Amino acid sequence: MHLAGVRMNHLYKQYGGNDAPAVKDFHLEVKDKEFLILVGPSGCGKSTTLRMVAGLEDMTDGELYIGDRQVNNVAPKDRDIAMVFQNYALYPHMSVFQNMAFGLKLRKVPKHDIEERVRSAAKILDIENLLDRKPKALSGGQRQRVALGRAIVREPQVFLMDEPLSNLDAKLRVQMRTEISKLHKRLETTLIYVTHDQTEAMTMADRIVVMKDGVIQQVDTPKEVYDHPANIFVAGFIGSPAMNFLNGELVEENGDIFFRAPSLNLALSKNKQAVLRERGISRGDVVVGIRPENILDAAVGAYGSGEPISSHIDVVELMGSEMYLHGSIGGQSITARVTARAELKADITAPLILDTSKLHLFRTDNGEAIF
Amino acid sequence: MAVVLGKTENPRLPKKESTWELIKKNKSIYLFISPFYILFIIFGLFPIVFSLYLSLQSWDGLDTMKFVGLRNFSLLMTDGEFWQSVGNTFIIWIESTVPMLLLALIIAFLLNAAFVKLRGFWRFTFFLPNVTSVVATTVLFGSFFSTKFGVLNWVLGKLGFGSIDWLNNNGWLQVAIAIMIIWRWTGYNAIVYLAGLQAVPEELYEAAKIDGASTTQIFFRITVPMMRPIILFTVILSTIGGMQIFTEPQILTGGTGGPGLGGMTMVLYLYNQAFSSHLFGYSSAIAWVLFLIIIVFSLLNSVLVRRLSNH
Repeated sequence: MHLAGVRMNHLYKQYGGNDAPAVKDFHLEVKDKEFLILVGPSGCGKSTTLRMVAGLEDMTDGELYIGDRQVNNVAPKDRDIAMVFQNYALYPHMSVFQNMAFGLKLRKVPKHDIEERVRSAAKILDIENLLDRKPKALSGGQRQRVALGRAIVREPQVFLMDEPLSNLDAKLRVQMRTEISKLHKRLETTLIYVTHDQTEAMTMADRIVVMKDGVIQQVDTPKEVYDHPANIFVAGFIGSPAMNFLNGELVEENGDIFFRAPSLNLALSKNKQAVLRERGISRGDVVVGIRPENILDAAVGAYGSGEPISSHIDVVELMGSEMYLHGSIGGQSITARVTARAELKADITAPLILDTSKLHLFRTDNGEAIF
Repeated sequence: MAVVLGKTENPRLPKKESTWELIKKNKSIYLFISPFYILFIIFGLFPIVFSLYLSLQSWDGLDTMKFVGLRNFSLLMTDGEFWQSVGNTFIIWIESTVPMLLLALIIAFLLNAAFVKLRGFWRFTFFLPNVTSVVATTVLFGSFFSTKFGVLNWVLGKLGFGSIDWLNNNGWLQVAIAIMIIWRWTGYNAIVYLAGLQAVPEELYEAAKIDGASTTQIFFRITVPMMRPIILFTVILSTIGGMQIFTEPQILTGGTGGPGLGGMTMVLYLYNQAFSSHLFGYSSAIAWVLFLIIIVFSLLNSVLVRRLSNH
């Protein structure tokens, strides 16, 4: 079987009348069998990009290859793709079986084959008992499976999914996430998936593409994007609760570089200092980023990564075994994720430790990460 | 902490209001709807009930009424002219409704397409015939269809066809009436279908496109089945309206129905029996038979449309 990756070369999408392009210089190669997720806030261009791959939107510029074929001017039905829509787009007047068989019927696939393919897809998705029902007699989760089934029977080179879980309730969403992941492993087909939910992106993708305002911000594995975000936007978008950002400045003192902000004086490790000196940045305004789980409860033991800092806690959210402490350090708000303790409650001052080994530093001019 | 269980002691049951009390409570609402109902009772309900009574009488409008039982109805069964008018009405109905609804569906589909500009202008233009005066347009059409001096025959002559005796030949007279109906009502039905089309979600068309459907396939396999309730609605409406065609044949033929009575529709026949022949009892009987025919035919139509769109 020949390789079925997708190559998107410098794709542009400009809607007439708008100043900024909806998608700008989207250049990416999706590997064969890869599960790639486009993630970003509303309006970032992820759905537009997906629709360009599907052929539902014209490309203003760029080239698109599915497998070895250039498909710029090829109609959607000839691109050998299958799509799952956010609102499922099931044909209301047809039964589940007919919905799934529709595409095959149009392609004049023999009746016996249609029967076989539909039933085997229905088996994988556990909807065999629903084949005679009409969409209006199905729950949201069941409709979603039918939509998936309709895509599976086509046995395409590439699956495209446009926020398929957005209309499901939270619990169902968690369940469907694992099902889609399992499905992908089983089908071994390239899958391009769009979502605004960074949790979905983190848990399911082989690689994530973070987008903002039509431009790719970072492409990498979920772990890399989480541990080494390329800029402030990615750092703040990926991870929940979001990364804390503290404005301050770098100061040199006795040969060491410190980060200074109101009520805050962080010593940086030798490694990090070396990186800074290499880049020629040893003073000036910067933004420090630190994830909530890297702000520690000083009362539960020191980690040797810094002095306890006094922080005023405004709100405490009990998550069960964990707590989110929303407070401030020197007037800048922070959120810490700590093990739940009865003594921690609103309107107290608690000592917190910032784990400086997990610190991120960002430039203030363009938001780029220094480390 | 003590656990408190909810308990009701001596629950107060809601007092049942009598109907009159309910009406008195809502009297302002009844006042608001009363003008319509008063007018309806006087000009709608009363004539309907009275005509049922009349159908069992013989009356010329001036003399006293004479009770004749079901004689009007039995006479009707053997009245050749009446049955010819029934046939004429059905022929005109088929010749007008079928092309009209098909045309309306296609126009609506085109109007809904993304590539159409000036959508508002087209909608206005198509709907315009519907708001014109029936009498005025029929008079104009009359001259259109005129055998010797009509525009239509002139055009046909230029195209190499012979003249058609529109207003005197039975078959062509029916076609002429059908053409007028199509002209008047296609736009109306197109607008109704357009509303129905816009209720079809765009995503459905996209899914069909990816599934591999061509535009025609989308039209017949997605659009039309989804429009089934609306198509049913327009079929029933055009059935009810089509069975009662009156103004066009009356003005076109001067009330005679044409030399061979080809344009004599059921309502025209009824009208003539009542106001030319002064047979009010007989014409009331015709009215009730007409009512039955419309009901039966409408039901047949709805069953047919449901059956057809289920494949």
